[in-house]
Amino acid sequence: MSPQLTLQTPLELEPAEVPTYLEQLWSTEQQGNTGSGANTFCLLIWQPAWAEQQLVRSGRLNGPITGQQSDALLAAGRQAVIDTDLPLSTPPTAGELIAAIAQLEGENLADDLRGQYIDPALSELQPRRLITLAPTINADQRLETLVAAYCPLPEEGGGTTACGDVVVLRGGQNALRDGMSILQPLLPPSMPSWVWWNGFLDEAPDLMEQLACAPRRLIVDTAVGNPRHCLNLLRARVESGQAVNDLNWLRLRSWRETLAMVFDPPNRRDALCHITQLDVDVEGHHPTQGLLMAAWIADRLGWQLQRTEISEEGVAAQFSRHDGADIRFQLMSVPTGQPSVHAGQIVGLRLICQPEQGQGVCVILCAESGGCMRLEGGGMASLELHEEIVSVKHASPEMDVARLLSGGHDSTNPLLSAAAPLAAKLLS
Amino acid sequence: MVATATNPLRVGLRQERVIAPQCLVIFGASGDLTHRKLVPALFELFKQRRLPSEFALLGCARRPWSDDEFRGKMAEALASKIAENPEAWDQFASKLYYEPVDLQQPDDVVRLGGRLETIDQRCATRGNRTFYLSVSPKFYGSGCRALADAGLLKDPLRSRVVIEKPFGRDYGSAQALNRVVKSCGQENQVFRIDHYLGKETVQNIMVLRFANTIFEPIWNRNYISSVQITAAETVGVEERAGYYETSGALRDMVQNHLTQMLAITAMEPPGRFDPEAIRNEKAKVLQAARLADEQEPWNCCIRGQYASGGSHDAPLAGYRQEPGVDPNSTTETYVAMKLFVDNWRWQGVPFYVRTGKRLAKRLSEVVLTFREAPVHLFDAATGGPTANQLILRIQPDEGAEFRFEVKSPGSGMRSRPIDMEFSYDESFGEPSDEGYVRLLADAMLSDPTLFTRSDEVEAAWRLYTPLLELIEDSPWQLPIHPYESRTWGPAAADALLARDGLLWRRP
Repeated sequence: MSPQLTLQTPLELEPAEVPTYLEQLWSTEQQGNTGSGANTFCLLIWQPAWAEQQLVRSGRLNGPITGQQSDALLAAGRQAVIDTDLPLSTPPTAGELIAAIAQLEGENLADDLRGQYIDPALSELQPRRLITLAPTINADQRLETLVAAYCPLPEEGGGTTACGDVVVLRGGQNALRDGMSILQPLLPPSMPSWVWWNGFLDEAPDLMEQLACAPRRLIVDTAVGNPRHCLNLLRARVESGQAVNDLNWLRLRSWRETLAMVFDPPNRRDALCHITQLDVDVEGHHPTQGLLMAAWIADRLGWQLQRTEISEEGVAAQFSRHDGADIRFQLMSVPTGQPSVHAGQIVGLRLICQPEQGQGVCVILCAESGGCMRLEGGGMASLELHEEIVSVKHASPEMDVARLLSGGHDSTNPLLSAAAPLAAKLLS
Repeated sequence: MVATATNPLRVGLRQERVIAPQCLVIFGASGDLTHRKLVPALFELFKQRRLPSEFALLGCARRPWSDDEFRGKMAEALASKIAENPEAWDQFASKLYYEPVDLQQPDDVVRLGGRLETIDQRCATRGNRTFYLSVSPKFYGSGCRALADAGLLKDPLRSRVVIEKPFGRDYGSAQALNRVVKSCGQENQVFRIDHYLGKETVQNIMVLRFANTIFEPIWNRNYISSVQITAAETVGVEERAGYYETSGALRDMVQNHLTQMLAITAMEPPGRFDPEAIRNEKAKVLQAARLADEQEPWNCCIRGQYASGGSHDAPLAGYRQEPGVDPNSTTETYVAMKLFVDNWRWQGVPFYVRTGKRLAKRLSEVVLTFREAPVHLFDAATGGPTANQLILRIQPDEGAEFRFEVKSPGSGMRSRPIDMEFSYDESFGEPSDEGYVRLLADAMLSDPTLFTRSDEVEAAWRLYTPLLELIEDSPWQLPIHPYESRTWGPAAADALLARDGLLWRRP
């Protein structure tokens, strides 16, 4: 399904006029008996789309700017990686790429439709209000406030379906800070509000603090931003009791499911008590996903972290099992020819189980997109081998967010709650 | 299934749907089903943390029990389960309430409405109610009417009715009951329960067929020569003689459980996994099904009744000697029949269906036998080549088995059959939930996928109408064949298949 535009041309209003305008829009007098505001949820999106803005400005991508992760955007990003002489394993929307494109010349302009281009997966959920904060690369740009309703108004022959509206705040970051005061009145206390921070987790901390305050539910992606900052932020939010969802954690789903599947047959479960080594290979130099995976395994199996060591190659650590035996953990960054859209995705995982008596077991999970030669090598001939291929077909961020929203998720997943602090500790 | 230690990596990975705040009202709360199946299933849901904290169970029956008496009766019945987790029971029991209600008395139903409002306030169940009719089938219609008249079904989003089997006694009575039920609420409020559909392995037939590309191309008349569906019990009529004498195996097992297994085995792939899409396909296949010989049903149906048996040390009484059974009873405890499904996929493929009490083994299975290879190139070690068979084991030892020919080791080129097995136990090692656990949760979630729709029920009754009429009008044409207890049924049932050159599978 392709994204859809709002049905109504957005109306530009003074920021102060927005709450009153929307209140009137949904008032009984205005709506009569023909329509109603959806009693669902509000979604605030921090939508910087820095890569898209820079690619458009430098003439490497045609507009309009939508904030969607389109195929054209990813292709332009990959080409820019080559043109700017960055390592080929650089993801097509990575921070270092954005910084490199920012140095390139070009003043191309395009329509900025961020917040008005709504993914069908989200619009199907009938949000009551989508508020998009769209910072521009021109830091001095004035604040523009746009408003559009979602369903036809009564005088245009509107139906009785539940309706919603979109609000876009666009401008330089300073201008956006000035506009933050209008947000609170726009969020009805009777329905849940979600904040999707669709940008780097280490940018604009003051804005995040204001936007993503409890009891608003937060959606982040710990694959975007400085790894240590990402994990510390996740840990802090989880420990504060706020409902947090991490798209990077969601993308681990098939890895967790496949590993659990390997140990579903009862005759293999004993091996879980005899693990001596865990290796995780990730793409490039962003270890958060690999650490979350290791932390989940450690938490489920009751391992205690003894020490951790960070190097150029990755992260090495030692855990101890219930019976006091040591477990060696190593996370390695490996280069890949065609990097994933998301930084630091797992490409392989190996568990070695060595009971004191009987045959050892080696479990290797390997991403379908590449090989895991490193994990397959090295003196395992005497072990019983279980090798599984893991599907790494990821849905778009919009689809993942829609899945979270439709599932309720009014609290943090308990598995993530347990894994996040340990993952942060592994990188500290 | 055998219970084993939980896979620690599996914990928390199951995606369970969230049941909204709810009051479940069970009519017939003093009956057998409530303490044997329903309350244990709800306690299981509670232990799995799948019930919302805003939950209440209101038991209703004519007996003048108090809340505490009801809790005490349930605790007595569930003693062994409670002993495993007494703290959980204490928490669960605090959600149990009781109200003496006779559904035939309008004043009682009005009083029930008041009690429900009190519970809504006390337990924050928000007027969201599921009414479970676990009463005598003759009260299904009047029970629904009483609830509707008291305004308890007027909100189609927050009220629903679960109706136990049997839904009617024949086509006419099922139609009449459907008319009454439909006049009381919308179809999406009605959940006609068939606990076989709650079984993991019955649902797995759909997954096996529609999640794999290897089966669907051969799942038709071009490759399948016959289908056998068996539901065998080792127990006799036990304490259910009163009910069983008026029902018999045809009404008790075939019209509902076996027919649902047939529908899921034979249905076309639905366009999407959606309740109506699935129920449309099941209804269509039942509408296309017919007895192999509708004009002379005695040619395609065998009825039997268990006689005494067992060993010298442990003798087993025959059906007519069971307490509460008429000594001259002609109620069947065994039925075997041959059906056809007249559509493009199944034209000409016989479906053999059998069920019985006091048979040699307890098991339910679906067996698909494939056509033989057109040319036999090899000698077969067993005398003749064995047809490929796919066996879907519903219970016990849940799983699937595929039988095919391989080369027998040695210098010659002889073939012999081997079995390739999938076992839920070996692959997952987790005990699967009782059918009622799944179905109660689904009803409270308003998910009708695993419940039978009005047209399905009517089509199932219509399918057996020639038999029911024959039993009613001229029972001598469909005689009762006695069979020894703990055998595989009457010899006449073997002859039914022998006429087609086939044998029942002996598991």
